[in-house]
Order: sequence, then structure tokens, then C-alpha cells
Amino acid sequence: MKRTLRFGTLESRIYMIFTLMIFATVFIMQLVSFRFTMNTVRNSTLENNRILLGQLVKQIDSYITGMEQISLAVQNDIQLIEYLQNGSNSLSSEFSFIQQRLGNYIQARNDISDIIIVGHDGTVISGDPATSLNPWTDVSEKEWYKEAVKGSGQTVVSSSYVQNIVAGRYSWVVSLSREIFSSNQKESLGVLLVDLKFNQIKDLCQSLVVGRKGYNFIIDSERNYIFHPSQQLIYSELRLEPIDSIYALLGEEGEPFFHDEDKYFMIATSALTGWHIISVTNDSDIVTDWQYVQVSYAILGLVLFLVVGYATNRISTGITKPVRKLQEIMKSVDTGDFRLVGSIRATDEIRELAREYDIMVGHIRKLMEANVVEQELKRKSDLKALQAQINPHFLYNTLDSIIWMGEMGQSKEVVLMTSALSKLFRISISKGREFIPISDEIAHVESYLIIQKMRYKDKFEYSIDIDPGLYNCKILKITLQPLVENAIYHGIKEVDHKGLLHISGKEINGNIQLEVIDNGKGMTSKEIENMNKSLNGSIDDSGLSRHGMGVHNVHERIQLYFGEDYGLSYFHAEGGGTRITVLIPSKNMEV
Amino acid sequence: MKNWYLVLLSLVAAFVLFIILSFFYNQNTAEELELSEPIQIVLKSIEGQPMDFWDVVNQGINEAAKEFGVQVKILGPRFEKEINRQINIMNAVIDEKPPLIVLAASDYKRLVDSVKKADSLGIPLITIDSGVDSEIPVSFIATNNVDAGNKAGKEMKRLIVENESKTIAIVSHIKETATAIDREAGVREALVGEDIIGTWFCDVEQEKAYLITMELLKDRSIGGIVALNEVAALGVARAIDETGASDRVVVVGFDNAVRELAYLEEGIIKATVVQRPYNMGYLSIRTAVEYLKGNKVETFLDTGSILITKENMFKREYQELLFPVSKE
Repeated sequence: MKRTLRFGTLESRIYMIFTLMIFATVFIMQLVSFRFTMNTVRNSTLENNRILLGQLVKQIDSYITGMEQISLAVQNDIQLIEYLQNGSNSLSSEFSFIQQRLGNYIQARNDISDIIIVGHDGTVISGDPATSLNPWTDVSEKEWYKEAVKGSGQTVVSSSYVQNIVAGRYSWVVSLSREIFSSNQKESLGVLLVDLKFNQIKDLCQSLVVGRKGYNFIIDSERNYIFHPSQQLIYSELRLEPIDSIYALLGEEGEPFFHDEDKYFMIATSALTGWHIISVTNDSDIVTDWQYVQVSYAILGLVLFLVVGYATNRISTGITKPVRKLQEIMKSVDTGDFRLVGSIRATDEIRELAREYDIMVGHIRKLMEANVVEQELKRKSDLKALQAQINPHFLYNTLDSIIWMGEMGQSKEVVLMTSALSKLFRISISKGREFIPISDEIAHVESYLIIQKMRYKDKFEYSIDIDPGLYNCKILKITLQPLVENAIYHGIKEVDHKGLLHISGKEINGNIQLEVIDNGKGMTSKEIENMNKSLNGSIDDSGLSRHGMGVHNVHERIQLYFGEDYGLSYFHAEGGGTRITVLIPSKNMEV
Repeated sequence: MKNWYLVLLSLVAAFVLFIILSFFYNQNTAEELELSEPIQIVLKSIEGQPMDFWDVVNQGINEAAKEFGVQVKILGPRFEKEINRQINIMNAVIDEKPPLIVLAASDYKRLVDSVKKADSLGIPLITIDSGVDSEIPVSFIATNNVDAGNKAGKEMKRLIVENESKTIAIVSHIKETATAIDREAGVREALVGEDIIGTWFCDVEQEKAYLITMELLKDRSIGGIVALNEVAALGVARAIDETGASDRVVVVGFDNAVRELAYLEEGIIKATVVQRPYNMGYLSIRTAVEYLKGNKVETFLDTGSILITKENMFKREYQELLFPVSKE
């Protein structure tokens, strides 16, 4: 395909429209499916997060439940309660018994930091025998103690805080506290405190995260942070969490979820503690591999564009190629060359069009041929009529000569001239035939020469030397006479010396060459050249004399009948004068 | 000819598609800094007690590294006083040509050569906690120690009023360290008009601080001691505890070692000024990232300090600061 794409052609239009449409389609398809894939992946990631968050809540609740079970077990430990009831005795054996008993509970679970019983009288019994109490703190001022007393038997779960009840130990705990009663449920014995290692919850929150930047944090209903991986940033306001949005969502049913810029927040509430656990997922973690997806989509797009583009190319070419071929062939009409399309590989419509065109061209060709023949015939008949015409001057000059000779009593000359004239006319007519034997043509030209020689009183001599073997060959009638007439009027008549006229004829290479040679005025080389040119129609011949016309017509008639290889030519004759040759085929057909 | 148009057109279309696709998800994703090499951090000490100052700085650094998606490598000598070691480490780090170095200088003057060398190699530098005597570092992120000293001094002034003896001594940790110099200046500024008998240096050794205090206590007129860092405070507090002098001597310390907080609860130390090491670590990386992104950074960033007394030490907002949640 060597053509460049030009606007306005059928091909380029089809190509443009197809390409635009299909590219747009591919674009939309890709964008929609990319978006869809992205949302699917995001949703499934978030769905997974939701499951993780559910597990986190369950685990936290299970810790709390575990602590509650321990506190119930302590409450239901009759031996322990009995010891406590008798606690006012403050026997050291009892004290260590209770301590050991509590220690057993601590050892049963590794997530328990401490179990402590605080009597209303201020006695504190810790499950860990190695510890001593912090003398600088007042237990009754503690939140968990006050809440437990207020709750009278209900378990109270604290927020996360630093427990300083043991001297020299500051551990992060979540406390579960309850008031314990004597076995008859009447007397309050004190408050039982179970401390859960906060690390357990922290580790849990930090392990169940999604992605590099994901994290969990916990807030309670009073907007306090129970846990945040970078709590210090929160308190120094280097990082802000959208607490308001979170609390605004809390009343809602189902699975509270929102996103703030590139972060996705998911909220779950632990029923046991009333804590709100928030899972934060960063969008960059969800879409980590999107660069690859994006690249593969772009590559897929490129392949689609290429394939579709190539197909479009083929389709448009397939439609327009035969049309263009047709167009090229039709263009040949401009140059007059009527080419046929012939068989063509194309759709039915185009083939039909080509067939119809071929039929039309066939018709036109026939018409043109007929036209040419017609023109030729017309020309021939025109020339025939012209040739047959008798020059009236010649006729009355001759008749004048006859009359003059008759008056002079030269009856012998009168007879000779009259018979020559008669012969001239007879051969001229030749019963309307166009071709006559060369012998007749010789007789015709000789008759003419006899008349002219008598009229010009021996101004010239003539000789005829034609191969007698050619006498039966056919020649267009009145071929030689115009040439002789021309030689006399333009050659011999113009000079003072005696004129000589020689007519010869012989066969050369299957053609007959006749020559008319005079010794008259002759022509310059330039004139000869012009004459030859004018014979072949390359010079305007409208200014020719009657004689010139005669010679011209002879040439034209020969060419009409025998083709362009034949005709007349002018040459210089030896010793001045002009030589005209006539070339005709020897085996010419009768028309 | 036309095939070229096609390939070109397809390439352009695919490129446009690529660009449009990136709009789909990049709209939410903040631009991230891509570093081939980790940012190197040279601290004063890396193998101290868990949850001490530098450990918490580490946590802040790691949190920021996670948030901003950068690699960090934390190095440093075992002990703060190993200045030569820190210089060696610093030089080794410079040879690795990291994109940026964060330095907590053990010595205000002796690390200047290393800093200049880093600068000549085109490595930007951020100093944290303790600066160097140079204009080269692009940012200095630290507690405003003059300010922190001021807080301690003001608290001392408030407490000494009710005390019998009004003579005040300062126990500093090390000479020629920016923190010590600045804190002392802050303390002295707040205590203008009070009777400051002098400054003693314990060389970051608790025992030495203890001995200094024992010596000071021989003078019955001593009424207040300002201890300028954790080690000094612990040494001072131990001496006061042992001699039972807490009634007559007001101690204001710095930092928040667990033992120190126990002394605070007991009333041996009356107040302590604590820094925010977590924020310091965090801000150092945040600033480093900002700088490497080509943004303008503050030449000095105050991470702040807080005066902690027995009354506010268990307040929710300070609990995490004073008692970092540890792996027990």
C-alpha cells in the first residue's frame, strides 16, 4: 500500500470511523473493567478486613470473658470466701493461703497480670507473693475500686491504664473488678481485681492488621483511647483520627464503615467492654499491585488497538481496493485508451459494476470503430469525386487547341488530340472502378502528355520506362497524371531550356515504385522538406495550389487504401529538377 | 505507511489509557518517596534499657518509617559516653553514602568534622536531641532544652519558697554536651535571684551523681538539687532516699526512667521534666522525608517538654509518655 492516507477518500473515511469507534469502545471497555476489578479487589480486601476485625473483637471479648470467669471462680471459691470472712483475725497463715490460692489462678492463665483482693478495711492481698504493695498510692481512690463498689456485684471493665498498686511496678493493664460478698450474700468482703496484661490486647491489635500501613486502634465510649499504636502522636496532635466521624457512625446498624482521604475506617464494637475497635486500612496497601495491573491493562489495550486497527485496515482496504482499481481503469478513458476491467476480486456489487462497465466500454469501442470506418469511406468518396473532376481550364484549352488546329486544316493533329482526350476521359471514368491496371494508367498519363506536348509545341520531351511485368498490377486510377501535371506547371514550364520528363517504374521488395522525374526549376532542400512534411499532414496545406492539391490528394488516397507505409516522396533529381516517387504495394486488393 | 500510522496511533492510545487508568487509583494515594538506600540514623546509644529514652526514639523512628514508607537503619554506640565510637560509626555511615543521615551528637564539638565530611559528599544531615557546633545540618529536632530547663527551674523556684534552706545545686550529666549546656542555662535563667552554689558533673554515671549528692548533703544548708538528666536524677534520688533527706531537699529531675517515677511517687523527686522521645524519632523521619522530597523544612523543631509531678503522672494523656507500653 504505497498510498498515504488522504482525507476525503472512501478508504480513509471508513478507516477513521472504524478506528475511532473501535478505539473508543476498547477505551470504555478497559476503563469499566479496570474500575470494576479495582472495586472488586478493594471490596474483597475490605471484606477480609471486616473478618479480621471480627476476630479481633472476638479475641478481646474472649480475654474479658476469661477474666470474668476467673472472677466468678474466685467468688464461688467457698474456701477462699470463708478465709476472707474470717480475715479480721489477720492470721498470716490465712493470708498466705489466700495469696497462694490467687496465685494458682494467675498461673492458670498467662494473660493475667495480677489478681488482687482489696478488703474494705484497706487490706490488700495480691496473688503474686513476691510483690509488696505500693505504699504511696491510695487504693480506695482508684477508679476500678469505686466503680466496683458502685456496681455491687456487677463486673466492671476499666479502660487501659498503668497499674501502680504494686511497688516499683508500673504495668499496663485492663482491669476487671467486682465486689465480692460473703457466702450468705449479705456482707461485702471487698473488691476483687483481675488485671489483664494490656500487652495481650496490644499485640493482638498489632498482629491483625492489613498491609504495611494498616493498624487498629481502640476507643471507649468516652472518647478515650484504650489503644493506639502511636498514642503519643495522638496526644501531641501530630496525628489526628477522625473521631467525630467514627462516633457519628456508631448508632448505625450493620457494619459501620467510611473512608477519609486514602484511609478506610471500619468500626466494630465489643459488646462486653463497650469498646469500639477501629481497623484502618490504607488505600495504598489495597492497591499495591495496581501498577502491574495498570501496565497489563495498557499492554492489553495496545494489543487490542493493534489487532483491531489492523483488522480495520484490512476491512477498509478490502472494500476500497477493488473500487480504486476500478477507478484507475476508468481513468484510462481520459487518454482514449478504453481498457477492460476483466475479472476482479471484490464483492458482488463491485463485480457487477465492473461487468456493466466492461459492457459499456465494449459498446463504445464498437461505436468508435464504426465511426472510423465511416469517416474513411466518406473521405474516400470525397477524394474519388474530386479526382474524377476534369479541370475545366484544361478541357477548354484543349478544345481551343483542337478548334485552332481544325481551322489550320491540320486534321491529322486534330484526330490525334481528340482521340487522346477521349482516351483520357475514358480511363478517368473506367466504369467507376477505383483500381485499374498499370497499363491503363500508363495509357492515361500518355494521353495527357500527348495533349500537353501538342499544346506546348514540343516544349518538352517525355519517356516512359515501366517494367512490362508490372502492367497487370493494379494501381489507383489517376495516380500519375497529377504528378505529371505538377511537373509541367511548376517545373518545366518555368525554365527556358527544353524540358525532359521521365516516368519509370519497377518492383522493389514486393512494392511497386513509380518515379516522375523532371529537369525543370527544381526545389530547394527546404522546399522539399516542407513538401514532404505537408504530405504527411504535419504542415497546414490549406494554401496549396490546385496542382499541389492534386498531388496531395494522390498521397492521401494511397495512404487511405494501403496504409501509412505507402505514398509519395519528393527528392532532388540529378541535374536539377524534382523527382517524385510513388510507393504502392504490388499485391493490392481490389476494393 | 499506513501501518506506521497504526502502530503510532495504537501506542498513543495505549499510553493515554495508561494515564487515564492511573487517575483511577492514584487520586487517593499520596505521592511516596522512593529511596534506594535506607536513611541512616546514628544515635547516642542503642543498647540501653528497654523503654529508655533511645528505645522510645527508635519506636518513633520506626512508626514514621512505616507511615512514610521509607527504609531506615539505626546505629549507635552502646553507651552515650562513647564519643569516639560514635565518631567512628558516623564515618562508616558517611562512607556508605546514604540519602540522609540523622544524628544525635554525643559531643557538641567533636562531631563537627564528621558533619563537614558528610556535607562535602552532599549527604544532607538532620540532628536530633543534641546538635553540633555547625550550621550544616538542615534541621535540628530536639527538645528545646533551654525551655525544658526553664520549666524545671520554675518548679524549683515554686517549691523552694516553702523550703527552709534555699541553697540550690545543679547536678549535670556531662560537660560540653548541648543538652547539658542548654538545660543549665534554662534552669539558671528561671532561678535568677536564687542562691545557686554551683554545677557538678556526673559524667553520665549514676554512682558519681550519688557521690556528688552525698557530698552536697553534708552541707545542711542545701535545699534543692536540680538533676539535669535521668542518670543524674537517679543518683541524686538514691542519695536523698538513703539519707532520708527528702523532707529538707527538693529534687527536680529530668526524664522518666521507671525508677525515677517510683521516686516521684514516693515524693523523693518532686518533679521531673520529660521530653517526647517518641515524637522526636517520628519527627526526625518526617522531616527527613520532607527534605528529601524537596520541601522546605524548619531549621529547628521543638518536640516539647512536660513537667510531671506526682499529681499528674497518672493522667491518661501522660501515661503512655511516662510508661511506654512494653513487651513485658
